[in-house]
Amino acid sequence: MSAPTWIAVAALGSVGSIARFLLDSAVSSRSSGSFPLGTLAVNASGALVLGVLTGLALSGDALTLAGSATIGSYTTFSTWMLETHRLGEDGRLLPGALNVFASIAVGIGAALLGRTIGGAF
Amino acid sequence: MSEDALKLTTYFGERARVKGRLLADELLDAHARHDIRLSVLLRGIQGFGAKHHLRTDRLLTLSEDLPLVSIAIDERERIEALRREVAALPGEGLVTVERARLTDSLGGLSAESELKLTVCLGRHERIDGEPAFRAVCRVLREAGVSGATVLLGVDGTIGGKRRRARFFARNGGVPLLVLSVGEAVRMDRALAALKQMSPSLLCTLERARVCKRDGQLLRPPVHDALALDGGSAWWKLTVVTSEAARHQAAPVYLELVRRLREHGAAGATSLRGIWGFHGEHPPHGDRLLSLRRHVPVVTETIDTPERIRVLFGIVDELTSERGLVTSELVPSSAPLGRSPGL
Repeated sequence: MSAPTWIAVAALGSVGSIARFLLDSAVSSRSSGSFPLGTLAVNASGALVLGVLTGLALSGDALTLAGSATIGSYTTFSTWMLETHRLGEDGRLLPGALNVFASIAVGIGAALLGRTIGGAF
Repeated sequence: MSEDALKLTTYFGERARVKGRLLADELLDAHARHDIRLSVLLRGIQGFGAKHHLRTDRLLTLSEDLPLVSIAIDERERIEALRREVAALPGEGLVTVERARLTDSLGGLSAESELKLTVCLGRHERIDGEPAFRAVCRVLREAGVSGATVLLGVDGTIGGKRRRARFFARNGGVPLLVLSVGEAVRMDRALAALKQMSPSLLCTLERARVCKRDGQLLRPPVHDALALDGGSAWWKLTVVTSEAARHQAAPVYLELVRRLREHGAAGATSLRGIWGFHGEHPPHGDRLLSLRRHVPVVTETIDTPERIRVLFGIVDELTSERGLVTSELVPSSAPLGRSPGL
């Protein structure tokens, strides 16, 4: 990768993480419960956008920048796992299991939908 | 040693800043400057303030500005001087002043029916080989007080000397508090036993009311005669539950703060203890390799007497089987940046 691409990865990576923070806090502060809806919204929307990008058949630097840099820093596996563990700590095993399986189902569905949308262009 | 003292408590956010510095640093520096006998900075796990923004360590993004509580106890003049300085600080937060006694005997409080005892210890202090906080809890339980909770400080002063926790350090001298409430006669017995065990313990006593214990209603939270006293008094409601205690499926402490916020409480803060007991239950803390946590959680809310009566309804519903609910008169409470009158 060239130097400008590295710089662009850093810049878009920060855009992705800021976007995650904004969406997550907006959703979390509106949902009064302690179910991690914010993280689910972030991961599902990220999967949708990445699906669209692959549907558009992006490749090379464009895919690196949009996919790995932007969506890679936007979505979060670690927060998903941490918050699932927190639900377990609280003894809320059903919401914990729901957080794992609903995220997987919604995420795969969103990626599939995104690819279909992207492929239509 | 039996002194008329005051307790200055400041509730604020971890990220609050004044003059480009963290408010927490500013406050603790002020405590050290004023040679405060006992001060502790406690880190909350969830809460909300006047703006009703919920912070909780349950969700990563909402845990970036958790509540902090700083407590300073000393004789009246010193706290008055500190209060003038703290009250002038700009920012969002709440400053309260309560009456306390720095003492190891009941003295003038022997006529009270219930009392709150605070014992300050070093984090790694030991008494006869046993961690000091466990030894103190054991003595309190043997004396039959209603309950005790151990809260770990992250900063503080003991005898005017700064004791700040650092990341790569043993932090043995950082203060922790053992808070307990109980009938005055039992507290008297506990104090005598504590003095015998360790003569130099730093203790303070305050007036308190035990409202409810393990589902049993004992007293209404607001004392009618005191509520009318001057009309400007505030009350603090304190709920202690185990982190494992639940109402329907949700942990009680989470549900409590959620409902207090929904019903427009002025603010609430939850603090997680490391050890504690209440009623007949054996002392509990976390267990190794156990997913669920068993430490006690203390939730406080401060409001007007009328509002506290309403909020007690919520607390009552959530503590139908377990938990310890106490109330205290708060003579002075005001937002930061405004001087609270006493």
